[in-house]
Amino acid sequence: MKLKAILGALGAACAIGAMPAAAQDIKIGANLPMSGPNAEYGDLFGSAAALAVEHANADKMLSRKLVLVIEDSQATPQQGVVAMNKLVSVEKVPYVLSAFTGVSKAIAPVGDKAKVVSVNGGGIGPDLAELGDYFWNVIPLVNLEVLALAPYLVKEKGWKKVALLYVDDPAGEAIKKELDIHVPKNGGTMVSSQQVPRASQQFSGLAAKVREARPDVVFIASFGTQQAQIVKQLRDNGVRQQIVSYSAFASPTVTQLPEARGALFPTQSINWNGDALSQRVARDWKAKKGKDPNAYVANYYNAVMVFVKLAQALEKAGQPITGENLLKQRQAMGSFDVVGGRMTFLPNGTVSMPLQINEIDGGAGKLVKGNIVVR
Amino acid sequence: MLFLQLLINGLQLGAIYALTAVGFALIFGSTKVFHVAHGAAFTIAGYLFWWSVSVQKWHWAAGLALAVAVVLAFGLAMERLVYRPIQRHEGAFFTVFIAAFGTQIIVQNLVGTVFGRGFETVTVGLSQAVEVAPNLFVAPIAGVALVVALVFFLGLNLFLTRTHVGTGLRALADNPDLVRVYGLEPTRLAQVAFALGSVLVVPAAALTAVTQGINPGLGAHIMLISLAATIVGGIGSLKGAAYGGMLLGLAESLAVWKLDPQWSEAVTFVILFAFIIFRPAGFLGRPHGAK
Repeated sequence: MKLKAILGALGAACAIGAMPAAAQDIKIGANLPMSGPNAEYGDLFGSAAALAVEHANADKMLSRKLVLVIEDSQATPQQGVVAMNKLVSVEKVPYVLSAFTGVSKAIAPVGDKAKVVSVNGGGIGPDLAELGDYFWNVIPLVNLEVLALAPYLVKEKGWKKVALLYVDDPAGEAIKKELDIHVPKNGGTMVSSQQVPRASQQFSGLAAKVREARPDVVFIASFGTQQAQIVKQLRDNGVRQQIVSYSAFASPTVTQLPEARGALFPTQSINWNGDALSQRVARDWKAKKGKDPNAYVANYYNAVMVFVKLAQALEKAGQPITGENLLKQRQAMGSFDVVGGRMTFLPNGTVSMPLQINEIDGGAGKLVKGNIVVR
Repeated sequence: MLFLQLLINGLQLGAIYALTAVGFALIFGSTKVFHVAHGAAFTIAGYLFWWSVSVQKWHWAAGLALAVAVVLAFGLAMERLVYRPIQRHEGAFFTVFIAAFGTQIIVQNLVGTVFGRGFETVTVGLSQAVEVAPNLFVAPIAGVALVVALVFFLGLNLFLTRTHVGTGLRALADNPDLVRVYGLEPTRLAQVAFALGSVLVVPAAALTAVTQGINPGLGAHIMLISLAATIVGGIGSLKGAAYGGMLLGLAESLAVWKLDPQWSEAVTFVILFAFIIFRPAGFLGRPHGAK
């Protein structure tokens, strides 16, 4: 079993871009957590990006082979900057995939100075919309997620009292700020807000405090293994209220957790059975991973495909593939046909797309409410 | 009622910390080896227990037996293949520390590669709390943790006080040269210390897998707590390490009573600093220079 797992992991490492690039290849970078408590996200994001690279090369979409170079951010801003400097200065990539709000905010100035495009598909902090022309987002930011979720919880479901557990990180702070605005605006009350350290693993005491607050719904704003630990320990310690979160709950660690069944979370709206591209990605992902893709797979696949379409246009126009030219080309093209439909970039580098609310059911997830348009 | 709830939660957490800390204190106190890879043994034990019970669907006793066998081998291998060669060449404390720290990182990455880097947990009814009084929830696992810790400590105490090997181990902690004079072999006694110390992490790791879940990076956190508990309890004192672990578990839980949750782990280090400044010998350790 172990040998098989190790060989599988080595194969996966090769598949997600660990192979050396030849001088003539077109290289793009990925600054993802490949070790530490959030490495599960790095595996997921990197594998989705690798699938897009595989498709681009198989379809000969570019004149030369596309190669993905992955550096380990460990999901920390400090290591993210080290990784970004390497991708920019040593690998000399024009385009870098990013993840996590804290990491993305830390690497944005490096990309901006070097005129290298950074594309976030996992971080959700609203201030990721304000990191300059060279920082783009292919994921709806959390202000949009809360805009979709708050009316559903408070008005439609009648859960007026909200307790929040949030991680002491830019993402957690951003979610608290949005909930503090939008829950009261919809007629609800924030009855408790408890901040937890990022490295904390013990939440039984917090469960007691949550029970004391007597909320109707508990919002968990963390990520990685910590969010699963919070769910388990809340449930084990007598918290029976509805659990809700943001798109980070799309992580397999949470969706497969028995204690998380019934939890609600928003993501962008994706119909995997819709267009031919979405069907192809869903089919190939299932063949490789043995399970259905989630919104993160679409985000990182799309992030690579946006690059491929921009690079295609630049090659056709006889222009070099640089960060500066990629930015100009994106501003010229504006919209792209990607997984889930047509993606349109707003002038600030974010995307606007319909959202949906999902329920964890132990399997691929249940759609609770779809096609929510928020602005 | 909140205080009582936090007290019960703290006793459960303290029992787990105490078991791990006593294992580390036994190894460090007897052999003077700063076994940072004790956290790696914890990670291995936790994952093997989870894999046996949740993936292979074995009986929990079989999962514990597998974990005991593997961490026993790990502890003995660390002593025989890593620490002893370094010490034979008069390796410095720092060399031992780096070797152990490196092992900890290798194990963390190997566990992540083999079992995945996500969060795993053993779901059993024992971890689900029931309301025993208005707004007071207690899980049966809390009682299990306390009983297991007590049984292990009593057993260890009997072993150390009533057997020749146990007496030898205590003597090794005091004066290795004298141990040789009495015809005992310090290297063999060191192997016993590593075996016993490593086995003590198994119940703690299994309880952690059930109550809070595990991930490959958990060992580093556990090591930090074990070290803090050993210093708070008094280096060289197993009872002190047990009290230290219990105190830290209680403090981490009770901190939430009046402070914001982000202080719960910081409290551990406030206690540690307080002991270092005001009582450097810890609860039950000997003052410097005392023999």
